[in-house]
Amino acid sequence: MNARSATIFAVALLVIAAAAMALAGANPLAGFAALLRGALGGEHQLSETLVQTTALLFPALAVAFAFRAGLFNIGAEGQLIVGGLCAGLIGAALAAPGWIAIPAILCAGTAGGAFWGFIAGALRARFGGNEVIATLMLNIVAALLANYLVSGPLHAPAATGAETAVLPAGSWLPVLLPGTRLTIALLLALALAVFLRYLFARTVFGYGLRAAGDAPAAAARAGIDLRRTALVAMTLSGAIAGLGGATLVAGVLHRFNVALSPGYGFIAIAVALVGALDPLRIVAAAFAFGILQSGSLTMQVLAHVPKDVVSFVEGLAIIGLSAQRLTGTRDA
Amino acid sequence: MTDGASLALEARGIVKRFGSVCAVDGVDLDLVRGEIHALCGENGAGKSTLARIVAGTLAPTSGSVLRTGAVGLVHQHFELVDRLRVWENVVLGREPRRGLRLDETAARERVRMLAASYALDVDPDAIVENLPVGIAQRVEILRELSREPTALVLDEPTAVLAPGEIDALFATLRELAARGAAILVITHKLAEVIAHADRVTVMRAGRVVMRSATAATSLEAIARAMVGGEVPGLAPRSGVAPRPAFAARALSAGGGAHALRSATFEVRGGEIVGIAGVEGNGQSALTDAIAGMLPYEGEMSLGEQPLRGDPAARIAAGVRIIPQDRQREGLVLGWSIVDNVALGDQTRPPLARGWTIDRNAAAALATQIVERFDVRTPSIRTSVASLSGGNQQKVVVGRALAHAPRFVVAYQPTRGIDVGAAALVQSRLIEARNAGTAVLLVSFELDEVLALSDRVLVLYRGAIAGAFERAAFDRARIGALMAGAA
Amino acid sequence: MLDFLELTLVKAAPLIFAALAGVLCERSGILNIALEGGLTAGAFAAVAVAYATGNPLLGLAAGMLAGALLCGLLGVAATRFGVNQIVAGTGLNLLAAGGTAFGIVVLFGTPGASPEVPALGARGEGILVAVALASSFALAFALDRTPWGLRLRACGENPHAVLAAGLDPRRIRVLATLAAGALAGLGGVFLSLGELDLYSDGMTAGRGFIALAAVIFGRWTPLGACAAALAFGALSALQFVLQRAGIPSELMQALPYLAALLALTGIAGRARPPAADGVPFLDA
Repeated sequence: MNARSATIFAVALLVIAAAAMALAGANPLAGFAALLRGALGGEHQLSETLVQTTALLFPALAVAFAFRAGLFNIGAEGQLIVGGLCAGLIGAALAAPGWIAIPAILCAGTAGGAFWGFIAGALRARFGGNEVIATLMLNIVAALLANYLVSGPLHAPAATGAETAVLPAGSWLPVLLPGTRLTIALLLALALAVFLRYLFARTVFGYGLRAAGDAPAAAARAGIDLRRTALVAMTLSGAIAGLGGATLVAGVLHRFNVALSPGYGFIAIAVALVGALDPLRIVAAAFAFGILQSGSLTMQVLAHVPKDVVSFVEGLAIIGLSAQRLTGTRDA
Repeated sequence: MTDGASLALEARGIVKRFGSVCAVDGVDLDLVRGEIHALCGENGAGKSTLARIVAGTLAPTSGSVLRTGAVGLVHQHFELVDRLRVWENVVLGREPRRGLRLDETAARERVRMLAASYALDVDPDAIVENLPVGIAQRVEILRELSREPTALVLDEPTAVLAPGEIDALFATLRELAARGAAILVITHKLAEVIAHADRVTVMRAGRVVMRSATAATSLEAIARAMVGGEVPGLAPRSGVAPRPAFAARALSAGGGAHALRSATFEVRGGEIVGIAGVEGNGQSALTDAIAGMLPYEGEMSLGEQPLRGDPAARIAAGVRIIPQDRQREGLVLGWSIVDNVALGDQTRPPLARGWTIDRNAAAALATQIVERFDVRTPSIRTSVASLSGGNQQKVVVGRALAHAPRFVVAYQPTRGIDVGAAALVQSRLIEARNAGTAVLLVSFELDEVLALSDRVLVLYRGAIAGAFERAAFDRARIGALMAGAA
Repeated sequence: MLDFLELTLVKAAPLIFAALAGVLCERSGILNIALEGGLTAGAFAAVAVAYATGNPLLGLAAGMLAGALLCGLLGVAATRFGVNQIVAGTGLNLLAAGGTAFGIVVLFGTPGASPEVPALGARGEGILVAVALASSFALAFALDRTPWGLRLRACGENPHAVLAAGLDPRRIRVLATLAAGALAGLGGVFLSLGELDLYSDGMTAGRGFIALAAVIFGRWTPLGACAAALAFGALSALQFVLQRAGIPSELMQALPYLAALLALTGIAGRARPPAADGVPFLDA
């Protein structure tokens, strides 16, 4: 979408958001102000915004990765949850120094998410099963699985909610800013974004992925194995989302519970689209949506605007962005 | 001018723009009842666009079309619902009803009557996707005829027919004309125009450049009007001693009506072998099997080695395919020329260096292709989507011939491109042959096959029906074999 | 046994409505993953209007209208703008979820759930179940035996052929999504005003996705989807019985989704979806 229609679209969303706020009996200007203050109004607020940015960045990169390969991974939420679950389980069980435990936890999460993505990828590669349906179904299975495990067999005895035991303090991700929840996960996400950009633009593997997404018939004739690409892409996509779940467990919550994600995996689709599937632009988009996420609570408390207006507007944004051509329109 | 009472359709000042491209630039056209009118022109001349405007399925940017009744349109690539039956396709939109329901009996009867009336034999209950192409065309014609049109437009109707079927089609059209319809046939087959049409109009670059009664003109004159000058000549053939290169033994692939059945043949380095045949006789199965895209039985070999494996393995062995559909199968439309020239070679040097793509090598290759194939483009970084069809095809062919392949399969290499680009592509194929490449030319244009090949094999219903050396090309006999003669 | 049958029908009814909506859309060529959103919108609108007017029948009408608007939005976006239907569907689901949660607070003051409202009662619930079953047969008849059904099926296979026959495939698709949305909305009405008498956040609980699974199992036919929905309803009814036997409820709840995953392996036979399903139809 060009600059003109993007501006019109953004303005339209703002107007609709304002109307919704007014409908809720709140002052739209106060609402926007509260949102921005809540997101950017101080060092603590900014750190929270960056926490949300990180939480969105991982699944958004995962979604974009799959989309670039021509696969609709609607299952980032489920992959994130399974990744978080694995991370929580390993983390609670592992008594080791941080420099061993933290990589182990992150790897566990990555592997868990990779497995979840692999299932959908295998269904597509081996049976031609539609990955949209597969990932949608797997999202729900993931939630149910997590629910079952942490309410029952793996429930932490001391915990009040459905969750695992708290991770030992040595396994917590190092904090970037003392007194905040902002951890090195942000740096990890940024590094991943840069790496993915390089992967797509310069590598043979990235070339093959892009070709499979942009022109599958031509790619197949050029020797690219579409089935294998689908499998690998879905697995790696799940891995990235799973890593995101692991950072939430090890960095933010310090345990796994079923309320790990307020729908990051779905909002990530909007983030990926706003970023036009380009890793670096997705970083910027994740920051914008991070503002929405972290500011919305302040907006609710101070300006009495229900924070669900944010998901409403995010939904509208996704619908508007669905007009964007996802593949075949760009070079590296 | 023709008198008003006998006009079925009058189009005046038709202009059609698509964005900045002007496809039709001020065209007048009259269709007279009882006449078969041929519309000729190169690809890109605007014929199909004009046909759709005349038929009413596309609105012109400006200009007017006066119709005295319905205008039927038979598309080049049929617009039928494959999974539905013949009768469902024919009555779609004009379904006979009994209360809320479809009256299936009445529908079948209507189809039978129409078919009998125009001698277009077809089974109303057959499912369209199982029909051979020539029969499926009848279904589309019947659908249009059921609207009782005063004019019928057919876009390249003979592209998918065997010579015998072509005669039958024109007999039908003549009958329709005799009953008072105006017939417009869009075609680039000038022999048919001279033989069957009463009147011819030639378009070039969106404008009409010639109008004539066919009796008052000649094939050469029409060809010259289409091209706007002389047709460029081809590269000379040098004497080459052919060496063994590609061999196929008992090659069978695909299924159903378009399968390849136990083909055995050779293509030697330094020769062009042409496969002559009407579309739908196994050509796609043959090329896809060679490409490694389709499972097959039988054997293939390249030089001394057996030729096996997936497309990547075959490309690595030195086999390059020029696919039939450049936009879908040959290019990534959204990418630049540079990115596209790496396609197929992206895992090997010189285009790959370890894990990464060597961008300098790709740029150098792109520049080389653009120069050698005269690709008209502002830069090698231009997206191929903005190139014309002819220039896109040059990129595809240039890439295929770039690394001196051992064996090239060219499937419809000049489909849908202008005469200048076609001549260049054909010349480059000849030059590859001169340099020792084995070339298999698969084309539905018999003239092209005869002009380029050292040997011709005729493919009919998936089997090789005849073989001819260049010195002994017999056009009539080849045409007869293409249609299934014994 | 009778109880079990009754429970099956009650559990299946919203699934049947949503699955029929899915079949209608996909047979016309629109891939609609926003069935969940349609259920949500229908359930909420029904309660909101029943609350405001005191009349559950008006609520029913509102629910159908809300569902129609939501799915109609997908239809218009798909036909007029050629959007990616999967992405748009995801957006619609998010929109419905956020919009209804927002609406609860705005209309009823407190988040989470609405107060109790005048509902359709047991008789209304029973009638809706009958309507669900009857709709399956009606839709099957309409698709296979009427002119409009023929045109709709043609749209889902090759919209260009429909255009060549002198019809407007875009209009047919939009109408299909509107009708489908009304059905999905009706499914939502069943949940909030039929089975219960209130709306609570997340009450649709993924039924829209189970309905997608039913569409696949049912090979994109109305009767097949209805049968699959009944099977899933039976599973749901079984859940209570089996839970007492110690089988975790989450496993029972997961069964429809696992079954759908299994269906993707082609174990239930490989049926082809409509050829133009989800493919934007763009004409110059």
